Amino acid sequence: MATKVTTPGKKSLETTAEISKAIKAYYGGVKVAKEEGKPIIWSYGLTPREIFHALDAHVIYLEHLPLMVGAKQLSGHYIQVAEEEGFSRDVCAFHRCFLGCAVASERDPYLDQFFVDPDIIIATNLPCMSESKSFLYAADYHNVPYYFIDAPINTWGQDIPDYAIEYYTGQLKGALDFMSEHGLGTVDWDKLKEAVSLSKKLILLWNEIDKCRQAVPTPMGTVDGLTAAYPLIQLPGTQLGVTLFERLLKELKGKVERGEGIIDDEKLRLLWFGVPPFYNMGLLNYVEKYGAVVVKSMIEYIAGGAYDPSIMNPDKPLESLAYKALVDIVNPTSENMVNFIRRTVKDFHIDGVVGVVKRSCGLLPGYMRPVKDAVYEDSGVPTTIFDLDGLDIREYDDATSKANLDSFIEALLASKRR
Amino acid sequence: MTTMERIMGIFDDPEQIVRDLKAKGKKVIGYRCLYVPEEIIHAAGMLPYSTFGTPEPITKADSYFQPCACEFVRNIFDLGLDGKFDFLDGLVLSNTCDAVRHLKNMWTTYIGSVPCYMLNNPQKMYDESAFKFYRHELEGFKKTMEDLSGNKISDASLRKSIDLYDETRRLLKELNELRKRDVPPISGAEALRISMASILMPKEETNALLLQLIDEVKTREIKDADGPRIMVTGSIIDNPTLIELVEDMGGVVVADDLCTSMKYFWYQTKPNEDPMDAIVRFNLERSVCACMHPSEERYDFLQEVIGGFAVDGIIYFNVKYCHPFVYESATFRKKLEEETPVLALEVDHSLSGLGQLKTRVQAFIEML
Ligand code: SF4
Ligand code: SF4
Repeated sequence: MATKVTTPGKKSLETTAEISKAIKAYYGGVKVAKEEGKPIIWSYGLTPREIFHALDAHVIYLEHLPLMVGAKQLSGHYIQVAEEEGFSRDVCAFHRCFLGCAVASERDPYLDQFFVDPDIIIATNLPCMSESKSFLYAADYHNVPYYFIDAPINTWGQDIPDYAIEYYTGQLKGALDFMSEHGLGTVDWDKLKEAVSLSKKLILLWNEIDKCRQAVPTPMGTVDGLTAAYPLIQLPGTQLGVTLFERLLKELKGKVERGEGIIDDEKLRLLWFGVPPFYNMGLLNYVEKYGAVVVKSMIEYIAGGAYDPSIMNPDKPLESLAYKALVDIVNPTSENMVNFIRRTVKDFHIDGVVGVVKRSCGLLPGYMRPVKDAVYEDSGVPTTIFDLDGLDIREYDDATSKANLDSFIEALLASKRR
Repeated sequence: MTTMERIMGIFDDPEQIVRDLKAKGKKVIGYRCLYVPEEIIHAAGMLPYSTFGTPEPITKADSYFQPCACEFVRNIFDLGLDGKFDFLDGLVLSNTCDAVRHLKNMWTTYIGSVPCYMLNNPQKMYDESAFKFYRHELEGFKKTMEDLSGNKISDASLRKSIDLYDETRRLLKELNELRKRDVPPISGAEALRISMASILMPKEETNALLLQLIDEVKTREIKDADGPRIMVTGSIIDNPTLIELVEDMGGVVVADDLCTSMKYFWYQTKPNEDPMDAIVRFNLERSVCACMHPSEERYDFLQEVIGGFAVDGIIYFNVKYCHPFVYESATFRKKLEEETPVLALEVDHSLSGLGQLKTRVQAFIEML
């Protein structure tokens, strides 16, 4: 019998509380825009968000709704709604949850604060199949126009050929034209350039934030980190995103100078690979009783937090965004993901990797074994792999998850003592 | 021996073809799936060989792929780990789904014996920039095939290969059009076997056999043809057992929408002075996979088949965790059901749990 114990994650930072407020304010703004008759776009976090700033568009990033309802333990309900609509349990739980939110005849008051019907859908196939296919259903259901940005997979590593950049640039241009034709006015190229320039600032700040987090003891764990990553998802290309990261950096620098960690006696540093349990973020704090800290989660980078800022050239905005999307670590099937995890393990002084398999994910489970082997070969750091659906609470077993963590951490501590 | 018997023999032991050709020094290139242009491999003087799976249980692959990856892909990887594809001189994959993308990674990392190539086909049709991008990808692929074979591919040789493959598609289509009759001359299971054998054989041989076969079956009629007319669709079916199950339950499988059968041969290349461009257009102006956009095209194709073959009911066989088709069936089902009943089933590629499937198929057919 599965045990259903859920606790919210414990955050430690002032700026992440501010970021949470910014999330609410953002969606409040989208609601107001809808009431004012402005077109609302549904899209996903891996669509280059900067293109929306060039049109002053109001966008709901659909991966966000499952996260929010997940944190309130409501994801199971919406997942069920999607299943009743005919979606199999094999479909990504994120997308089942989003589809449940999209088609539910009634929404609970919490979701209702954020939910707004779409006027246009802009979809892509990055990082996985689900992105483009679930949006097709939503477009059909809401009977709204749909544009698909095709992202070539990365078979080139870091060296993206010109013809691929040209293709993706053409896709972005197509999306801009499509939005213009559907009531969003003309593209402001100066705004787009400014958005790219602000994105560059954002990633430079994120890199500095990451440097602070490499400190031992770490001033920020992934419970804060997952909220802190929000500007990367929704605010690239905005001054607000930059301002929030500047504040976060200042707070972290102070902590590093004072040698303050998120727990008193940090003994072990963990990296979370896979989807964290959004309905039970407290599981990430659970390990702290052993003196262990989940320093980072790979999901913090899911919306483009791992690229070289020098590729962003405001004078070539669409090309820059194309490059950024094509080298993204979640763009299959290059070695970029595995190499990134290798580097992260070293840079963040990681002692163990926790690989969790969300059964319905088409992307991340395929990386588990290559990551495990590469990290071990590189730094001798072990990986534990177990099932944990971060969104479908019906599949979650708290006791088993904790037992898996207990045995892994005990083994890590024992090998440290040797 | 009848032509039908000969073709069934090839279906039962397709590797015989490979053994014979390899003995003569010919190179063999495995591929998955319809977006890999066999014509380019053929024009380089090699045999394109479709890698189908087996119903064997997965053994080694499960410690690499999590069990939540499509079982067909795990099966192919398992066979690869076991050395069962070691006769191949290369494996070419195309960008269709998450599972195949990972197969490329896993194969390259863990199976050194057979080099693996990923052809980066766009997932968008009728898009000028996609045509351009794909042309670049195909040029790279052509060069790789030339290097692997040691043979240059000229426009003339490529044109010849395209004509040869178009002829196979035309003949298979002609044969399958006979299934539109009130009493079809071949069963659904036979049609799948013929198609899969034709895909595997060198096309020079296929075409000669298909010509004879069409003649041979023209006057034939299958038994027990009074049941409801069924179209089968969904993810890959590379084992006729599923079709046999439907037919054993009283359904008459008159048509399908499978990449191992009708989707393979329904379309022809269009006249084009530039053979590479003909391939570009062939792959990006027909909708044979749920991975492609827009999806209306596939819906229209299903409607064409439903109408043309007087289909009474549709069965979606979705391999578990096959994301493209699982999404597609949910999206199309409601619309299709307005006119034609649909049964959507999740199946294991290894076909375990056949008993339960039987009950559901039987209930569906009785309902029709
Ligand atoms: S990457 Fe996995 S979890 Fe994320 S949307 Fe795709 S299938 Fe779902
Ligand atoms: S069965 Fe589906 S998931 Fe598997 S390889 Fe084919 S399209 Fe991909």
